[in-house]
Amino acid sequence: MSDSETAQDAKQGGDSSTQMLTALVRMRSALQEVRLPLELPSAPEQRDAQREMVDQLEDYVIPRLMTIEAPLLTVVGGSTGAGKSTLVNSLVGTRVTQPGVLRPTTRSPVLVHNPADAEWFGQDRLLPDLERVTQSTNDPEALQLVASDAVPVGLAILDAPDIDSVEERNRVLAAQLLAAADLWLFVTSAARYADQVPWDFLRKAADRSAAVAIVLDRTPPEAIETVSTHLARMLASRGLKDSPLFTVVEGELSEDGLLPAADVAEIRTWLESLAADAEARSGVVKQTLDGAVRTLARRTHSVADAAAEQVDAVRRLRDDANAAYDRAVSEISEASADGTLLRGEVLARWQEFVGTGELLRSLETRVGWLRDRVVNAIKGKPQQAERVTVAVESGLETLLLEHAEAAAERAEASWQSLASGQILLADAGEDLGRASRDFRRRAERAVRDWQSDVLDMVRTEGADKRSTARFLAFGVNGLSVALMVVVFAHTAGVTGAEAGIAGGSAVLGQKLLEAVFGDQAVRALAERARRDLESKVAELLGSERQRFIDLLDSLDISLEAPEKLRAVSRRVDDLRFAARGGSGNSAGSDA
Amino acid sequence: MTSLLEGAKKLVSRSSDIGARVQGLEQALDSAEGRVDAAVVGDARAVVDRAVGRLKLSAEHTVVALAGATGSGKSSTFNALTDLELSAVGVRRPTTSWATACVWGQEGAEELLEWLGIPARHQVTRDSMLSTGKEDNALRGVVLLDLPDHDSTEVSHHLEVDRLVRLADMFVWVLDPQKYADAAIHDRYLAPLASHKDVMLVVLNHIDTVPEARREGMLDDVRRLLEADGLGGVPVLGISARHEWGIEELKKQIAKRVAEKKATRTRLGADVRAAAERLQAVSGTSSVRSLSTERVAALDDAFADAAGVPTVVRAVEDSTRIRANRATGWPVTAWFSKFKPDPLKRLHLDLGAVGKQLTGAARTSVPKATGVQRARVDTEVRALADQVSLDMGQPWATAIRKASTSRLTDLNDRLDRAVAATDLGAEKIPAWAGLVRVLQWMLIITAVVGGLWLALLAFGSYARLPEPPTPDLRGFPIPTLMLLGGILLGVALAMVCRVLVGLTARKRARTADKRLRDAISEVSGELVVAPVQAELAAYSAMRDGLATALK
Repeated sequence: MSDSETAQDAKQGGDSSTQMLTALVRMRSALQEVRLPLELPSAPEQRDAQREMVDQLEDYVIPRLMTIEAPLLTVVGGSTGAGKSTLVNSLVGTRVTQPGVLRPTTRSPVLVHNPADAEWFGQDRLLPDLERVTQSTNDPEALQLVASDAVPVGLAILDAPDIDSVEERNRVLAAQLLAAADLWLFVTSAARYADQVPWDFLRKAADRSAAVAIVLDRTPPEAIETVSTHLARMLASRGLKDSPLFTVVEGELSEDGLLPAADVAEIRTWLESLAADAEARSGVVKQTLDGAVRTLARRTHSVADAAAEQVDAVRRLRDDANAAYDRAVSEISEASADGTLLRGEVLARWQEFVGTGELLRSLETRVGWLRDRVVNAIKGKPQQAERVTVAVESGLETLLLEHAEAAAERAEASWQSLASGQILLADAGEDLGRASRDFRRRAERAVRDWQSDVLDMVRTEGADKRSTARFLAFGVNGLSVALMVVVFAHTAGVTGAEAGIAGGSAVLGQKLLEAVFGDQAVRALAERARRDLESKVAELLGSERQRFIDLLDSLDISLEAPEKLRAVSRRVDDLRFAARGGSGNSAGSDA
Repeated sequence: MTSLLEGAKKLVSRSSDIGARVQGLEQALDSAEGRVDAAVVGDARAVVDRAVGRLKLSAEHTVVALAGATGSGKSSTFNALTDLELSAVGVRRPTTSWATACVWGQEGAEELLEWLGIPARHQVTRDSMLSTGKEDNALRGVVLLDLPDHDSTEVSHHLEVDRLVRLADMFVWVLDPQKYADAAIHDRYLAPLASHKDVMLVVLNHIDTVPEARREGMLDDVRRLLEADGLGGVPVLGISARHEWGIEELKKQIAKRVAEKKATRTRLGADVRAAAERLQAVSGTSSVRSLSTERVAALDDAFADAAGVPTVVRAVEDSTRIRANRATGWPVTAWFSKFKPDPLKRLHLDLGAVGKQLTGAARTSVPKATGVQRARVDTEVRALADQVSLDMGQPWATAIRKASTSRLTDLNDRLDRAVAATDLGAEKIPAWAGLVRVLQWMLIITAVVGGLWLALLAFGSYARLPEPPTPDLRGFPIPTLMLLGGILLGVALAMVCRVLVGLTARKRARTADKRLRDAISEVSGELVVAPVQAELAAYSAMRDGLATALK
């Protein structure tokens, strides 16, 4: 097949390859958008996978699909000390990259290409986030371009950093470069060939059917036979039996640090023949590219699974926090309505208020009232009605405070039981197992607000009854206290020894109010006051709950992400099968 | 375990410090068990077991492990050190699959080798059959281990290395010019063993393959990487096992350390320290706080409130007042108070000490703790737990919090029983009230007699009977005196007694209050304070143990 025919093929397939390109671009953006912030067991692995996949799409798959006829990119990768740089220099015939005895050596990758192919390696092509430089540099964010006639047209050689040294940046960059390779030239040595790390890479390459050639470098002549046989067997057992295996003996280096030309002739010839044969070349490109796309589509599903797990985990954490606070709200509303608040302190004050006869005394003349005021002022004692108010306030506050603490503790405990929750809590910056610092202040404020609301209610309701004798007799304060008492005995029966007394108190309060406002109005008033209290409690605890919810919201996990990922992956798979079917047919018709 | 410890104790004479430190760590672990993260405790427990196991065995021997990557020349080095071709050397990777041991000085080493898990077929004794005549006394007491590699595709090798690295007394890490910067060795072994740098040697094998001018630079580079791992100061030797370069120096280094006989203890000490520091990091280092009396008092208050003590005390006062007033009041009117209910009876607290003995601790009808009261109890319990766990590590704070609430579920029941079982001292009316009652009745009788007398006189005068002489007292007729005096004195006595009854009632109320609070305080002590104290004791024991372990 000549070059012109290839071009025609490309045109025919133009539609499908554009579609594929669009699908892959969508896949990239879907992958980039997905967030896996929770520390679930699958998260670290899938986060790496996600980053790798985005990198691979950006660095290799998308640019490669756009310029399918670009030269074959051969990435020379392998362990530190296996002799990658020396091999590249020897293949090129001049010293283009810096070998060294100190490990790890190569830091910034070097790309050697034929001057005629320069246009293919611009900034906007392969590996777009590596800055192009022409000088040797130690910056791992740079890609040094070297034009050399020694490299055949249609082929480029990239010297990658090591995959296993202590320099983590080297390892990451090497993985990124290998993911962007059309052809891997994997360099290992007699001391290295059974290492675990390179084999992990080779396994990944086998998984995605990338084209791989292995170079057994730095091998003492006497060991070549044994080692290469063993290595070939290892390759075969790991699914790489079709990969060519070259051996290079450990020999004296020339003054320039090059291996004798004869030692690398085999590799050189192989590469040159590959470069010359357009069909074989595009076969290699297609095999690697197709494998990469296939693997991407498959791995997208596992990222989608991880994203779905994140969504589930967030839902669960949210439910836990909500359950803890819902329980607090319902317990408070129960405790404040079943009459139990009327026992103890509140009851005592209410009895004083009713029993010691402020009510009766209020019926006396204004002089009596004035006398009370004077006496109370001198004694420093608050008005009886006010004392009931204070007792109600402290009772409600204790209730609110304790339930807020208990809810925070429950929510925190349920989060603590999950690894993801633990990390969120650790990052929260405050101890979420306790009610927030200013909760007491806000609770006081809310209770006082409610009391003044009740006061307002009574005042408004009584606006037209101001002048009635009864209203005057009890006063706004007295009536609002009575209303609170009625609210607290809303659902119920006070039981036990104080039944008569407390129940009586509520009944007395009710009667008192009914006498002033009429029973319909009292029911409405009590209902309104109760709802007001409930909404204040809900609001107060809502802001406590929000501390947990905010943490989850700050994770910014999208609910649709998993489905979106699956959809783009399916689309890519569909296109891939369609393309294969089409090409299969055309191959058939060619035959 | 105990027997193992006993064994360890026997060795105290030789290694008193390390034995005590291991024991300290064990004590800390016993306390931390179930409170601190199980993984941390489990790991430390393994350290203790290993240390105890090792201390029981030969102190005359030092286990030196040769470890390194595949192809670095561990086996060649091993052979060079032993002057024997014991370990298989080859070009196929990985070569060594089993750890091989060579012992200088067999005596007492069998158990040690068994403990190390080296089968007899992989053991060689340097001073027996294979001795070549020139005795190597310098290395006497060395158990040299040739480990498999840690970085090949054979995962079983890594596991064997991980196992033996934990057991060896001393390490010789064999690096080579190709692999000395591998992440596999630095990240997985050297950096995590930074706390063991005193029992470590690093050799750079294959130095012959490096051009002579570059050798020093490469050794410096190795030192730089070790420094980055936290292993600055570890000796680095350049050797070539093939050419026997540097082997003598390596032997000397090993011999020097073995002769000091400190390696075992240093290694175990480093293990114990690392485990103890990890435990300390999660547990926190703050000193033990004692419960403040104010907090406990506030807790008792809240408990008393929840138990309805104020209600009961009021009932005692009211009940005493009612019954004493009935006894000492003017019998004619006091009779009406029968219709007033006795508040103690209503609370089912009127049985008295004898009644309680008969019925056992009966249920009371003291009202159950309300939401507010219960909330107050919970708040106080939390405040108490907070006060003591203020600076402690998270696991301990949680443990204390858990302990403080662990027994609160039967709070209501316990409070009720405490109240029911307390002798309120209110069942009997006071003795003087009895006397007053007799007096009152005598006065009434006097008044009645006087009245009857007067009535009789009135009847006599009505019936025109001759008036009998009426005795008088200073001119006051006796019957009139009896009638009026009886009534007036009775009323006056009743009024005076009301005051006295009021005082008695308040006194009894105070007594009851004190007794109830004492009983409640016992309950709070048992339900909250004691569990918290137990946690504090455990924390303190752990701190002591850690202090010993870190000495």
